This record gives sequence, C-alpha cells and structure tokens, in this order.
Amino acid sequence: MDSDEEDFVFFGTPIQREEEITNRRKKAAAEASGNLRALPPWKQEVRDEEGRRRFHGAFTGGFSAGYFNTVGTKEGWAPQSFTSSRKNRAEVKQQSIFSFLDEDEKTELEGALGTSSQFDTFGFTTAEYARKQADKEQKQRPSAIPGPVPDELVLPASESIGLKLLRKMGWRHGRAINDSHATSLYGARREARKAFLAFSSEDAKAPNPADEPVEEPESFTVQPADNDTRSSQSLPAFVCNPKQDLHGLGYDPFKHAPEFREKKRLDLSNDKQHGYRKAMSLKDSLFGSKSGKAAPGFGIGALEEYDAEDEDIYAAGYDFQETCMEEDEEPSSLSIESKQPSRLSIESKQKVVARDEGVLPGFKIASVSVCQLERFDPPVIPKDFVPHHKFPGPLETLKKLDVPSPPEVLPPDDCNLKLLIEGVAKLVARCGKLFEDLSRKKNQSNPLFSFLSGGNGHDYYERRLWEEHQKFGDQAKLLLDGKLSPSMQKMTAESRGKLLGEKPLERSSRETTSSSVASGEFQFQFNLSDTFQNSNSFSKLPEVAKPFKDDPAKQERFEQFLKEKYEGGLRSAGFTAASNMSEAVRAREKLDFEAVAEAIAKGKRGKESMVSTQRLDILASGMQFTSGGLEEVKDVHAEDLATKKKYPKREEFQWRPSPVLCKRFDLIDPFMGKPPPAPRMRSKIDSLLFIPDSVKGAKPEEDTVTNRDVPAPQTGAQMTIEDAAEKEIEIVAENVERPVDLYKAIFSDDSDDDVEDSNTKKVEDPEKKTEVATTTLNRLIAGDFLESLGKELGFEVPPDTPYSTNKVDVPRIETPNSDSGNPKLSSGTSLNPGNGTAQDIESPENESVPGWSVGYGSKHTVGLSENMSAKVNKDKFAEEDKKVKSPSSRKRNWSSSSSSEDERSRKHSKRHRYRSSDSYSDPSSDDREHYRSRSKGKERRSSKGKSSSSRKHSKHHKHRSRDSPSRDSPSRSHRGLERKHSEVRKEKSKRRN
Amino acid sequence: MNSSELPRKETNVLKGHDGAVLAARFNYDGNYCLSCGKDRTIRLWNPHRGIHIITYKSHCREVRDVHVTPDNSKLCSCGGDRQIFYWDVSTCRVICKFRGHDGEVNAVKFNENASVVVSAGYDRSLRAWYCRSHSTGPIQIIDSFLDTVMSVCLTKTEITGGSVDGTVRTFDIRIGREISDDLRQPVNCISKSNDGNCILASCLDSCIRILDRSTGELLQEYKGHACKSYKMDCFLTNSDAHVIGGSEDGSIFFWDLVDAFVVSKFRAHPSVVTSVSYRPKENCMITSSVDGSVRVWKT
Repeated sequence: MDSDEEDFVFFGTPIQREEEITNRRKKAAAEASGNLRALPPWKQEVRDEEGRRRFHGAFTGGFSAGYFNTVGTKEGWAPQSFTSSRKNRAEVKQQSIFSFLDEDEKTELEGALGTSSQFDTFGFTTAEYARKQADKEQKQRPSAIPGPVPDELVLPASESIGLKLLRKMGWRHGRAINDSHATSLYGARREARKAFLAFSSEDAKAPNPADEPVEEPESFTVQPADNDTRSSQSLPAFVCNPKQDLHGLGYDPFKHAPEFREKKRLDLSNDKQHGYRKAMSLKDSLFGSKSGKAAPGFGIGALEEYDAEDEDIYAAGYDFQETCMEEDEEPSSLSIESKQPSRLSIESKQKVVARDEGVLPGFKIASVSVCQLERFDPPVIPKDFVPHHKFPGPLETLKKLDVPSPPEVLPPDDCNLKLLIEGVAKLVARCGKLFEDLSRKKNQSNPLFSFLSGGNGHDYYERRLWEEHQKFGDQAKLLLDGKLSPSMQKMTAESRGKLLGEKPLERSSRETTSSSVASGEFQFQFNLSDTFQNSNSFSKLPEVAKPFKDDPAKQERFEQFLKEKYEGGLRSAGFTAASNMSEAVRAREKLDFEAVAEAIAKGKRGKESMVSTQRLDILASGMQFTSGGLEEVKDVHAEDLATKKKYPKREEFQWRPSPVLCKRFDLIDPFMGKPPPAPRMRSKIDSLLFIPDSVKGAKPEEDTVTNRDVPAPQTGAQMTIEDAAEKEIEIVAENVERPVDLYKAIFSDDSDDDVEDSNTKKVEDPEKKTEVATTTLNRLIAGDFLESLGKELGFEVPPDTPYSTNKVDVPRIETPNSDSGNPKLSSGTSLNPGNGTAQDIESPENESVPGWSVGYGSKHTVGLSENMSAKVNKDKFAEEDKKVKSPSSRKRNWSSSSSSEDERSRKHSKRHRYRSSDSYSDPSSDDREHYRSRSKGKERRSSKGKSSSSRKHSKHHKHRSRDSPSRDSPSRSHRGLERKHSEVRKEKSKRRN
Repeated sequence: MNSSELPRKETNVLKGHDGAVLAARFNYDGNYCLSCGKDRTIRLWNPHRGIHIITYKSHCREVRDVHVTPDNSKLCSCGGDRQIFYWDVSTCRVICKFRGHDGEVNAVKFNENASVVVSAGYDRSLRAWYCRSHSTGPIQIIDSFLDTVMSVCLTKTEITGGSVDGTVRTFDIRIGREISDDLRQPVNCISKSNDGNCILASCLDSCIRILDRSTGELLQEYKGHACKSYKMDCFLTNSDAHVIGGSEDGSIFFWDLVDAFVVSKFRAHPSVVTSVSYRPKENCMITSSVDGSVRVWKT
C-alpha cells in the first residue's frame, strides 16, 4: 500500500475506519501471515497472538475445544479395528453408571455398590443361596444319594398341581373358573386395576409390612369393588403392587419406623389434586424402572443448579434411610385383605380428594348450589332529591318573627326550672319546633318538663322562646343582609352585639333605618357596633382633620363621635342627652360623621375606592362641608387622576449582570468583588444571625452606592420610594451585614431628646470627612423606611442604600410648608407649642409628639433635608422644626390656610393629601415615639460623629434633585409611602389583636 | 424636516422571497439591506439599485430577525428554529450557531462593538451570546420577563427588551439595575430614539407609545393604525421628528412626534406591513410585507 501511494494520485482524505485504527496492529500481524485484507469479513479468521485459531462459533463455546480443536486425543485417533459382524455381532453395549463415572468415583463407589439380598425381588438369589447352603450341608452330612444331587432335581415347585391342571384346561389367571366370558375377565381386570389404584393411595390399611422382606413377589388378590354376581364369579387375580416411589424394589423405608408412614401419607394426600389419576398413571409407567439408587450417582447436569442437596452426590455413602423418610412408603403387603378394604380405600381416596376442596369428609360439593345470592337493585333516588340537608329551624323562626310577643312574664321561682326553661327555649329556637315536640314527647312523664305542655312555667317558656326566636332570627337576617350591607365588619360587630344579649332591634340595614326615625335604641345599637370596631385606630385621632371647622359645636360632636367610634367602651351618657337637637337631625348628623370618618379612614389606607369618593361627593353636596372637607374631596379626585395615570408604571429592581457580560460590553462590573447573590427571600433567623457582622461589609456597598448615583443621576433621582424599598429588600437579601455602631445608635438611644437640640448641635459640629457623612446620611434616610418595612417583612435591614428619592422629594414637600410656615415661626423651638384648640381630643400620650406623628412621612424628609443642607442658618432650622412640630400650624395648613393652597398646583394638594394621609396612617403614638427616637438617635449620632461638611454634600444633592423636574415622582412616592404605612399599620393592629 | 421630505415615493420593489417577509433591515450605513422571511432565507439586497445580491440559507424554520454588524462583516439571524446563526457575510457560511433558547427567537441584535449578540425569545428570556469564542452557551440569561420577549434594543450600556407581558425592561449593566416600565399592553416592538432619550414601544392595542427613558413617563401615544396581532416595527425618523409605523391593512403611518397627529399615511402594501426600516442619515425607508415583497421608499 505504501508503495502504491507513490504511483497514484488521491483525491480527498481517505476515510479512516475505526476498526482499521484499532486493529491495525493485529492486522499487520495478520498481513504478515497471509493477505487477510482481501478476504471478506465472513471469511476472515480471528487468530491469537501465536496465530492459532482460538475462536469458534457460538455453538462451540467460542473458545478452544477438544484437543487442539480436534476430536482427537493426545495419543491420536485410532480407527476402530474391523471386526466382522458376521461371526460375532457387535454387542449392544449396556450402559451402566460406571461408564459415566471417573476412576476415583468408581473406586469410591465400589465398596458401597453391592447387591443386597433385600432387593432380590423374585427370590432367585436367595433361592440360589439357599441351594448352595443346602449343597454345603449336603456335602457335610451323609445322604441317601451319594454325591451331589443335581440341582435341577431339587428345584422347588413353582406351581401347584391344581393350577397346572386348570391351566391345561384353558384357565388363566384372573379368570373365573366357571366362566369363560371374555368381558367378565376384562371387567375383573379393570376392577383389579381400580382396586390397586385405591390401594396405592390408601395406606392406613396397610398392615405392618416389615414381616418378610425376602418374600415372593408381592401380590394380592383384589376383589372387584362392586359386589355383584360377576365379581363373585371371577377368581381373585394377582395384581402386582405398583411401584410408585424411587426406592429399590421391596425396600421399605418405614421398616423400623412405622410411625412415619402416616405422616408420609398425609403429605402425599396433600399433594394430590384432581390430576391424581393422571399422576398415578405416570407412576404406573415408572413401574419397574430402575431403582432410585442409580439416580444420584450421575452428578449434576449442566442445567441444574448446585444446591445444598446436591452437595454430596459424589459422597460414598448413600443415605437411604434419610431420603426414604421423605419418600412415599410402600403398601408392601396387603396380601389378601377382604373386599371391604378395597372399597374403603376408594372411599378414602374420595375423601382425600374431597378434603382437598374444603368439603367435609363424606360430602361432596353439589353441582347445583341451593342458596343463590340474592341481589337487590339500588334504591331509586327521586329526581328532586337534593343531597344537602336544609335545616328548617331558622326559616321557621324567621317566619315567626312577626308573631306578637307574649307578655313579659316573671320567671318562676324555682331557679332550676328557670334554667331548664331557658335552656330548652334556646335549643328550640335554634333547632326548630321539632325539638320541642320531641322533648315534649320524651319527657311526658317528667314533671320537670311540664312547662312544655302548658304546665308550670309555660308562660315564661313562651316568652323565652319568643325572645330566643327574635335573637336568632335577627342573626339569620343579619347573615342574609350581610351581602347587602356596605361593610361586613360592622355587621359582624352588630351581630356580636346581639350575641351578647342586646335588645333585639328591627332593622335591616343602616341606610334604610337612617332615613327613618332614629330612636334611642338605634343610636345605642349604632354605638355598639362602633364600639366593637377596631379601637386601635383611635390613636390616630389627634391627627383627625376638622371638617366641621366652622361649626365648633358640630366639630366637637364629630370629635366626640370619633372618639367613641375608635375608643370603644361605654357611651358617655351626656352625648345624646346634652344635645338639644331633634332625633332626626341627630341621626343625619350621625350619618355624616360616620361617612366622613369612613372617608378619612379610607384615605388613610390609601385606597381610593369609588365608594368613599361617591359618598364624599354626596355628602359634600348635601351637607355643609368646610373648606377643609372639600379639600379632602379634591385630594381624592387628584388621587383618582393619579391612579388613572398610573401606567406606564415604573419599577426598579436590582439586576446583576454576569461579569462576562460586563466584560464583553467593556463595562465595569458594578458588583465586582461581591459575593454571588443570595436567594431573594430569607427567613428572619437568617438575617438575625448575620446582624453582628462587621462594618466592613457595608463599606464597599456604600461606595458603590455613591458610584451608582453619580453616573446615572437622572435615573437615580427618579427613583420612587417604593422602588427604593424594593431595592432595599433585595439588598437585604444580598448582604445582611449591619454596622454595629448604627445598630447601637438606634437601640441604645432614648426618646427624650429634642430635635432642635440635635439641630443646633449639628450646626456647631466640626467638619469631618465628607464621604462618611454622606454614607451615614444615606443610611439614616434609608433606615427609617427600612425599619418599617423590615418590621413588616421580618427582616433586619441593612441601612446602606442609595436614597436619592428622598432627596428629590424633600424640597418639594418642604418648600410650600416653609412658605406658609414662615410667619408663624417666631415662637422658636418649643417642642410642643400650643396644642391649643383641639388638643383635648388627643390622648395624653399623644400630646408629646403631635408634630412627629403628623409629619412622620414628611418629618424625616424635612429633618434630613435640613441635615443635608449644610449652611442653613439656625433660624431656618427653627422654622423647619417649628413647622414640623407644631400641630397647630399644621392644622392651620390643613384647614384654614387651605384656601391659599388651593391656588397652588395640584401637586401641592397632593402633597397635602399625602401628609394628612400619612398622619392618619400612623399606627400608634408609641410606635411613632419609637420611630422618632430612632431617627433622632441617628440624627444625633450623625451630628455628633460626623460633620456638617456632609451637609454641603447633601445640599448638593438637594439642589440637583430640585433641578430635575419630575412630575410624577412625588405622588408616586407618596403612594408608596402610604402603602407601606398602611401595611405597617395592618401588621401592627394584627399584632395587637 | 417637514412633512414633504417624508419618503413616500416607491423607487424599488425587491422581490424574491417566497412567502412573507418578516423583517427588513438596513445595514449600518444604509447602502444595503437585509430581509428575511418565512422561506427560511436571508437575502441581501442593494435597495437603491434594486439588486438581489446573495441569499443566506441555513435556517430550517422561518427567519424572524436579522442584524448586521457595523462593519458589514457579520450577520446574526434568528427564527423559529430556536437558534441564533452567526454568519460571515462574504462567504455565506455560518460561523456559529447559538443554542439555548427554549422557544422561537423573535429578535436579535448586535451590541455596539459587535462582540455580543442579544436575542429575545419566546421562552421569556433575553440571552446574550458572545460571538468570538467557541462556546455556544449564553453569557447572560435575563429571565425576569413574564411573557414572550418580542423585541430587544441595545445601547452602549443597556439592554432593553419589550415583552408581551406589557413591560419594557431596561437592564443597565453599568449600575446593575433593572428598570421595568409597565405599559399594561403587550409590547410588540421597541426602538430607541436617535437621541437615546426615548423608547418607542408599539403595543398590541393599536397604539404606539413613547416613553421617556429616564423617568418612565409616557410622553405620547400614537394611534390610528391597526396593530392587534402581528409583530410590526415602528421607527423614528432620523431627525426624531416623526414616528413611522406600519399597519395591518398595509398602510404606513407617519405621526408627528410631539402632537401625535397623523402627518401622512399611504398604502404601501396590499397586506400587513411586517417591518419598517429607516435609512440612517438619509430619508429612505424600506418596508416589508406579508406579500413577500420589500419596497424601497424615498422622498
């Protein structure tokens, strides 16, 4: 091939076969021997290293066979020498076990394999032996005939002369003597066979077989089973006992242990099935076959498994005794039993078969069973059947509602009876009339229950029943009306009031009754329902707006109403009594109050549902609303517009580009050096575990925060608080380290510190490094929201996030306030300037922090913005503080100065809304305190530790954000805030509950 | 640019595709154009002379989008066979196939230096592939979308995707932020304005919206055309004065950018206009349609 290549031009690359590559070496060797390549695959031969053919077809085992793959031997093959078959015919070789055994096996077997006189079936050997003995004896003793007597002469007679004679006359064995009919003979034979079969199964009757092992052929006469005439004619025939086992002939394994015979028999009978007969016939055919002795000597066939049983097949000893225990026993000699046993044996055989089928002995299964299983059709379900039980009780009671009430009856003197009556009445009211009837029937004889049938206490029972009915009916009605009523909560509260045993009222829903006359009862009921409303919202009372500002009396009443609504507990009796209004007017007013309160509450929640706005509109048209109230309405409208303009909605998330992507885009990975992001949701425990981590973790993050802000100021500036919050969540998940100092600052601080103190301190503070301050500020700003959010989500929140949003929002909120607040600021920095006019509605614990509670949302932003604006002079601080803190000024903003604010843009009104709603949504005063203390602590911390140079920085932020006009962001942020607050509040209330 | 300069005169019809043409794209300088379609081929044309230059065949399903590198040396294409093909333009050979999308790939774009291909797929993901290595796996999978991503738009630092879930999501690689603008309507196609400040998003409620990228503010809505079920491109003219969009009745609409009135409207194709491409720097436009033709329009 190599030489060929030089001669020819090849195109393309030759296809290399895999086999070629792998078998190259072999092929080279093969090529050396002969040119294998030319041969087709099926003619090629596989040879081993030495060139021998080792492999053959699958049928020959695949490996070398025979003597070098020949049939020959080492000595070579010698053809059989020719022998003429004419003279001496080739003998048919009888195979014996020895022809299959190896030499060593043969020697082993030699001793064991011997003839035994036991198995001398027909007694020839014994006879011979006896003859020889006799010979010997003959030799020894003198006899009449000298010399050895020829054996032939002394052969024992095999037949009696009578038999001989009969035979000569044509008789045969088994034939009746007087009958020559062939059929009878045949019948006799058949019967004999039957009997013989029976015997083979019936062993119990077998007598002790061990008497003469050296017997003449075992045979016995069998009478036919049926005792008719024919059988009497026939002669008893000799039937050989069939050999059913693998023992040697005449061998009885139970010779010395007859007790095992029974066991064997049972085993056998268990094995017998319907195919019994067939099995027997099979055994018949085995009759006279080789003895079982030979079988084990043949070793194990190729297909047999080498079991434990087979282990000593080549053992010299043949343990007959053992094996035979398991074998069938021989009914050795039943020699001449009567006819009865044979019949019995047949019966017993039947018995055996029957027992197998689980039938009593002596019985057989009937072919036709008497008792048929009766089957019944399933009951027919009526068409109008509803698989749902309706209790007639409540409906009944409902019907009874209009039944005139029985007269009030004094309860019977017997306390037990009274209790009984009440209990029964309640049960009856609940379960319906049926129960009454039932109990009446049951307790007819019982004198205690005589009230059921008009006896003692019947009147009282009637009355109680009616009352219960009323109560129950009202409940049912309430349930029915529940869907119609505007708020389920109220209805449940009312029903609860009813359950508590209030006087039943006849009213369907509040709207309908309100137009009608409101009785004292109604009022009471109303109040009660309010009482059971969530009283925790009462804490937001101080921030409540005053929609009825122009009417102080009405305002007072409204506040009173609110107080009662949220406070819970008992009504002040003076409320209804002191007012000199008519009932109708009072009811209307009450409705107004209710509606306004609801609207406020709704606004607080930030849910601008259509219901509230509609209601407000209606009220505004119908009722006298002050400007403040109208402004509320306007806010709602603005909010509606905002919701309409909700889309496109911008959200911002953290997204981590893969480092490769950044590299390919030629950008710096913003997350360079950060650990891979953790899964988003973390359990509380996780975050808690990570709390005491060092500050180091947070520092780089802050750096990146600032970095992040710088390149994309626009996007950063437009971030909403909501987004920020979301981002914070993510950051929480990402690295949960928290700087320890900040943590301490938050929690170790107490709340009695004043903000203006901190402010003044801040002003005096020396300047320090800028970055540190900014980062702290960022942290602080973020911290507040993180606190709330974290509380809600169960996170411990790391405070480091870019928080440009606040910076954006701050000026917008602050500017109009400072405008309006400016003139009033002269009073300085008192913490609680006049709580003045409406402060009486506030609970005492609220009094200390009205400003804070009012401006929680705006407070931080304002305060922080102050912090940020570095060179703000002190009086400006004062202004700010004043404005923030004094509730009166804020309230004036809310109510009286609203007219001036009306001129402002919609944004401003939005802001107002925002403020008010925020204030409402504040969960509780102590919570606010908490926030305040924290924030204050942070501020103080920052003021102490860090410098005012940071303020320069932050001021820069402020200006920038001021410059960037964003129309939607404030409102959005407001919304986000509101949402958050509402969520926090919800959680709070939940916790409280 | 006043309205008279709008390309409304048909100069050439490029025929050759069997079946619908799904996308037609100018190359970077606008001298050539590429079209791809249901006949599983990509065709390179000289639209100004109306000459078919070459056909790229290797896709085994329809080709939905094609993009060419700025240096005209490489192509990338994608389609129903879930793969992104990276072609050598001159030799017509597939250099690489990127597999990984679990569904059809709707759009594909090169980044600025043509090293990364970003694809948008039916499997709700954006995937970025690096063209210059031998590995065929994505280097980034963005799977924050909730539904099929229909279109993708790249800037130097950002990846923007428009999805049927109604969002336009911008992924800023530089700061690691995802900005999601929820438009509430399935977004069909997005394209960025030439000044890079706005994103034009064609929605399936027959409305093209323009968003301020920095604020997410909805600046304007353009209506009048029919776009309810097809992916149709929308573009801004080179001067950003007009918005161009196709319609399902075969019309081409020109809207005024600011006031959103229809400046001009003419019927370009007998059936759905699938794609519009505007020539960079010159007033020339190509449109493709389901009827299998690509038409070249000039002023």
